[in-house]
Amino acid sequence: MSKSFPGVKALDNVSFRADGGRVLALMGENGAGKSTLLKILAGDYFADEGEFLLNGILQNFTSPYSAIMAGISVVYQERQMIPALSVMENIFAGALPKNKLGLIDKPRLKKETMALINKFELSIDPSVPVGSLSVAHQQMVEIMKAYRRGSAVIAFDEPTASLAEEEITVLFKLIEALKKEGKIVIYVSHRMPEIFELSDDIVVLKDGALVTTFITSETTVDELITSMVGRDIGDTYENLSRNTEVGETLLEIKNLVTHDVHNIDFSLKRGEIIGFAGLIGAGRTELVRAIFGANEITSGEIIFEGQKIDFKSPFDAIKAGFALCPEDRKEEGLVLYRSITDNVSIPVLSKIRKALILDRKAEAKLASTAVEKYAVKTPGIDKLVVELSGGNQQKVILGRWTNELMNTKLLILDEPTKGIDVGAKAEIYQTICDFAKQGIGVIFISSELTEVIGVADRIYVMRNGRITGCVDRSDATEEGILSLAMADKDETGGDAQ
Amino acid sequence: MNIKKIAHSKIFTLLILLAIVIATFTILSNGAFLQPRNIRNIFQATVVVSLLTIGAGMLMISGQIDLSLGGIGTMCAMMAAFLMRSGLPWHLSMLAALVLGAICGAFNAVLVNEFNFQSFIATLATASIAQGFMAVISQGRQIDISDRTFNFIGGARFWDDLIPFSLIISLVLLVLYGIMLKNTKFGRSIYLVGGNADASRLAGLRPKRISYLLFMNAGALAALAGMLLAGRMMTSNTVGITNAQFQGLTAAILGGIAFGGGSGGMGGAMIGILILSTFNNGMTMINVPMHWQSVASGLVLLSALTADFLSSRKRTSA
Ligand SMILES: Nc1ncnc2c1ncn2[C@@H]1O[C@H](COP(=O)(O)OP(=O)(O)OP(=O)(O)O)[C@@H](O)[C@H]1O
Ligand SMILES: [Mg+2]
Repeated sequence: MSKSFPGVKALDNVSFRADGGRVLALMGENGAGKSTLLKILAGDYFADEGEFLLNGILQNFTSPYSAIMAGISVVYQERQMIPALSVMENIFAGALPKNKLGLIDKPRLKKETMALINKFELSIDPSVPVGSLSVAHQQMVEIMKAYRRGSAVIAFDEPTASLAEEEITVLFKLIEALKKEGKIVIYVSHRMPEIFELSDDIVVLKDGALVTTFITSETTVDELITSMVGRDIGDTYENLSRNTEVGETLLEIKNLVTHDVHNIDFSLKRGEIIGFAGLIGAGRTELVRAIFGANEITSGEIIFEGQKIDFKSPFDAIKAGFALCPEDRKEEGLVLYRSITDNVSIPVLSKIRKALILDRKAEAKLASTAVEKYAVKTPGIDKLVVELSGGNQQKVILGRWTNELMNTKLLILDEPTKGIDVGAKAEIYQTICDFAKQGIGVIFISSELTEVIGVADRIYVMRNGRITGCVDRSDATEEGILSLAMADKDETGGDAQ
Repeated sequence: MNIKKIAHSKIFTLLILLAIVIATFTILSNGAFLQPRNIRNIFQATVVVSLLTIGAGMLMISGQIDLSLGGIGTMCAMMAAFLMRSGLPWHLSMLAALVLGAICGAFNAVLVNEFNFQSFIATLATASIAQGFMAVISQGRQIDISDRTFNFIGGARFWDDLIPFSLIISLVLLVLYGIMLKNTKFGRSIYLVGGNADASRLAGLRPKRISYLLFMNAGALAALAGMLLAGRMMTSNTVGITNAQFQGLTAAILGGIAFGGGSGGMGGAMIGILILSTFNNGMTMINVPMHWQSVASGLVLLSALTADFLSSRKRTSA
């Protein structure tokens, strides 16, 4: 299969086969062509050349609908459901059971949905609107929908990027169940441990071309990474060159309360990296947004460089030397239909002006530097961000918030490596350490435990809007942090009120 | 810019469309269409629409719509006429009207930003309020204007009666706003906010402030448009520039300013205005009855919207 976009060969003569009852992992660096391949299978894009056979029959999709009819379902990271409709209506969309009057047969709809929910051992209310569910549950609804359609092929594009550890376990159980039924599962992810836990076969792409295929049980993490990246990256965390000199206190949070977080106390020194671990929804994003002036504060104090601050908006925060690289790149990060350049320069537009007129050269230089620094895969800085691969979009936001005109004193990174490939991740960790060396204080939020433990000097753990503990890197273990992050039964009851 | 890029650009398509409209009417009118006086009339008719398009167009780029500009402009022109009749000098009257226009815009901005009303609904309400006040000020009758300077600004023509002064004003403004939009931080911010308001705010822009400024600016420009027309007619009547508002929106969409916000510019809008004005003028030239002209204008708006829809669909499914 081959597919080109203007200036990019996204897929270059790729061939492989996937078998029923097995999970095939599709691996490769950012921009390698994984999502493009899935979109072709889903009938979203059309291949320039090549063919796709299912059970030996040549498929020719003219629309997403024809792909669904042929038995292909793709679960994307961005949900594809109708948020205002209920779980059961979404699952049975296009095949709603009708009663004698030709109206929707609600009781039957509910019964059949419950049967599905029970089969996969989930606890989801079939009549609530999908929009009110957590990301994880929405994803499961989507899987049930694919299952209900009787899809022979179910593909996942980075499904775990926004899921908590617990939820991932449930997702994997679901995938195992699909596998047992003989479905072909195609799985894309940048998280190595998952690949080895879940997959049976691995296909590696690089720059759109097939590099190699592995049988998972016959390969190792190192061998896989080397084939993806083209070199050996060694032990990511051991090789980090860290900051050793920590300065005076930069930021102090005293008894901070907002709508979603309660009694938060912590402090950060210059040159220090503190991590925030916790389950999705623990309140980490709300906390940093409040510090950044994006969410309202009910009470408490924020002291920065010895002075009490009260930001009315992110504008004030940025002026004071704060930078917040947000978690949700599509909603809160990027202006998708603008160029890379336009997206990188937003916070520093005032600094690239000559007598009120924007200096295009300076702006282009800023964007080129960001593109080079993070190795964004793109034919040029004028490319619309929406046309970049997911990981490369993430690199563009990182490039924005760490551009050289920023004057940052406090850098807040909310899930900065979401969707980023292993090789680039290692470089981002080093970049974070380099910022610390310059005396910048870093707040690093991540739901990937290994990464917080590996990068941060100190890790705060949050649960239900509160900080439940703090551990130094030297003492940190995944189990220890997880136990702080998970609610015990009686406490959940208390917090719910 | 290479040839291929130019050929694919929206401006190029619009210019071709303009050429087609001109050619058609020239043939249908046996050349009368291209007489200098008629060309002047075509340009004269763009003045009011241009001013409304600048204001409404920038709001649309930022993701909002303003349906109150016709009402605001008409009321402000009536206010100016009223003040002059009451003995206030022309400059203070004009200033007062411009400020009133900006205040009406601010009122829109409050409704949209503080009360979170859809701009579509909020500005429709403002339009109705403005129209009511206009009737109160004028007591339902036109107010004649005798101030020479005021009438000069709106109605003077130079160079053998061919170049209207008001046209110079509107062209200068179009160019200045065009430059501002493409080359300043404020202009860029309008596009970014239109593209993604949340992300822009988090990146340090102030969408609310931008929204206030744009609504106020549109209100003030509408007041200016109303006064230029009143000056040319030497009277302020109760219809005023109400009808020009929809032409302004049509021109903006025709010129490539998309409904959802984030794209388009003054260059395209300018050609959009010219196409509309040429079209309307041409229909009069070949004696299409008034009512059918109105039908035809509606069809033009529909085709502009269709083109907008098709190009945005192409954009999302590419
Ligand atoms: N709609 C599009 N228009 C232009 N180029 C595109 C489009 N979609 C993808 N591309 C390009 O095709 C290449 C492959 O992108 P793809 O999204 O398949 O990568 P990926 O392997 O999924 O990467 P990631 O790990 O970052 O998600 C990239 O260089 C990307 O810029
Ligand atoms: Mg992808």
